[in-house]
Amino acid sequence: MSIVTRNSLIALGITVVLVGTVAYAISYLNQQRVAELSAIEDQLSIDTLSLDTQFSLLETAPCDTASSTDLTGELTDLGNRLAYAEGQLGSDNAEVIRLKEQYSLLEIRDYLITKQLAAACGTKPITVLYFYSNAGDCAECAKAGYALSYLRDTYPALRVYSFDYNLNLGALTTLIKVEKLKDALPAFIINGKHFYGFTSLADLEGDFPKGALATSTATTTRR
Amino acid sequence: MSPGLIAYPFLFVAIFFESFILVTFLSKPARDARKRSPASGNYPKVAVIVPCYNEESTIGGTVESLLALDYPTGRLEVILVDDGSTDTTPATMDRYRAHPQVKVIRKENGGKHTALNAGIAQTDADLIGCLDADSFVEPDALKEIVPCFDRPEVAATTAAMTVHEPKNLLEHMQNAEYTFGVTLRHALAAVNGLYVTPGPFSFYRRAVVVALGGFREGHKTEDMEMALHIQRAGYEIDNAPRARVYTKAPRTVGKLVKQRTRWTTGFMRNVMHEYRDLVGNPSFGALGLIVLPIAVLAIASGLILFSLFLYTSIAQVILMISVRQGIPLGYAFLPSFPHFDWFYLPSSLYIFLGITALFASLIMIAMGKRLSRSPQSLPVGLLAYTLLYGFVAPLWLLRATADVAIGKQRRWK
Repeated sequence: MSIVTRNSLIALGITVVLVGTVAYAISYLNQQRVAELSAIEDQLSIDTLSLDTQFSLLETAPCDTASSTDLTGELTDLGNRLAYAEGQLGSDNAEVIRLKEQYSLLEIRDYLITKQLAAACGTKPITVLYFYSNAGDCAECAKAGYALSYLRDTYPALRVYSFDYNLNLGALTTLIKVEKLKDALPAFIINGKHFYGFTSLADLEGDFPKGALATSTATTTRR
Repeated sequence: MSPGLIAYPFLFVAIFFESFILVTFLSKPARDARKRSPASGNYPKVAVIVPCYNEESTIGGTVESLLALDYPTGRLEVILVDDGSTDTTPATMDRYRAHPQVKVIRKENGGKHTALNAGIAQTDADLIGCLDADSFVEPDALKEIVPCFDRPEVAATTAAMTVHEPKNLLEHMQNAEYTFGVTLRHALAAVNGLYVTPGPFSFYRRAVVVALGGFREGHKTEDMEMALHIQRAGYEIDNAPRARVYTKAPRTVGKLVKQRTRWTTGFMRNVMHEYRDLVGNPSFGALGLIVLPIAVLAIASGLILFSLFLYTSIAQVILMISVRQGIPLGYAFLPSFPHFDWFYLPSSLYIFLGITALFASLIMIAMGKRLSRSPQSLPVGLLAYTLLYGFVAPLWLLRATADVAIGKQRRWK
């Protein structure tokens, strides 16, 4: 065997090993991401269930102890991580879909608890249910999502719940049916009122109840 | 098809080629070459030809460095060939007319290859060297070169070329690239894979050059044409990695692009026309099967990878601006410094393979520095190479490809 052939074969072997190692490292990193997301979701599940149980136990006076405010912040962080993982692994990745389903369930649960607390305690939280699609059929969804992120970061009292409209999840389908949501995205349910499409931040702000954003605690902190 | 999928084959080939260089660097022929001692006792007659065209600012230093070579004076002659300069180059040359080792030739402007041939015609030396008039040699460089010709099959030898006193970032970038070239040439010489004998201090067996008909215009790359000619004739091209020569590098992007466009078009035209039969030809071993095909692919890959980078970057910027429209500037565009979170580390195969290829390049630059013991600062060069090369190289690749496609000819300077 000539030295050129021998060196070429060794170089090919090294290249395959290097590329394989890089591919394995990336796969490992992504697995760790999924594992972290799973762990966060598990913890949130426990917290949500705990809150739900607390609420049931203290049905007569839930307002003194039960609060889901902290969970909403964690849900937002989880949502950001999930969106990043979706970008890395692809929206058709089975793990991503499973995590998104679990995340959506947590969001719906938190939304319901928020509603129940509001009814029981007489508070008036501002909630936004945001329905998007990343299947390429919603040109304005990226803009709408960013505008909502801005509003959520600027007004921390705002409770934003984002849902992938195309997710095949029974609870989400039921929510869409119950809310009688039309198949026009992006869609917003702001304190029970339905809005479709996105034109600008100013228009979106106009969809909020009068004074709702002004009375929320404004902050300039960015995520 | 995603940009990453288009890039993977090119990145795979780049990593393969770098691995090949590293493996060859460690193989026995290269190790033996590194053990070679400088010439002592056997000194063939050597003539160094300095072709000049309007080199008034550097020719003096070039000649002085040649006269300071550590080589028996009776065995070394310096032939200065003025190729019709219009500045004070002839006057500077005339200062050396009386020197016993120097011959001065003046001729009508006809191009570098004609100047070299004019010099060859004036000597009966065993070995002839070429030194561009903007380059300077270390005193021991010739003694490092000469032993390469101990093997009769060797018809040419290249030196270890780096940049003379790099000052700005662009010069440091080129110095890193040249230092990379030191490793590359040393490794490829071990498998006779060199296809260029650069102007700064390459040497030839005079009899072979004469038998091959002397230097040709070679699409303004006479050094490449001669190397390919030598290879086709069945000879070998060796390398002396400790024969240090320093050359002036272009100081501006415009001048660099002009120089590299000439080199790249010269390469493309030579391998597309006169030397097409060498590409992919197993008779020429590493040169035919690996070096030339990958050099061609490197031009395509440079253009394609840069285009992909440009396309994805522009698309991202457009999306970013479009998504942020109407959002207060303080939120949308002011930089934020979130705390480090490993979760958000980018982990695309495309990026990681690119980093692997870059890291291998940086290792080879460091190896070239160690091998040649060249004095320039390496950290600045590595930084400049990492930051600039990927953005500057596509400029000349694009220009050269366009020139070849439309048949445009440019002036040398």
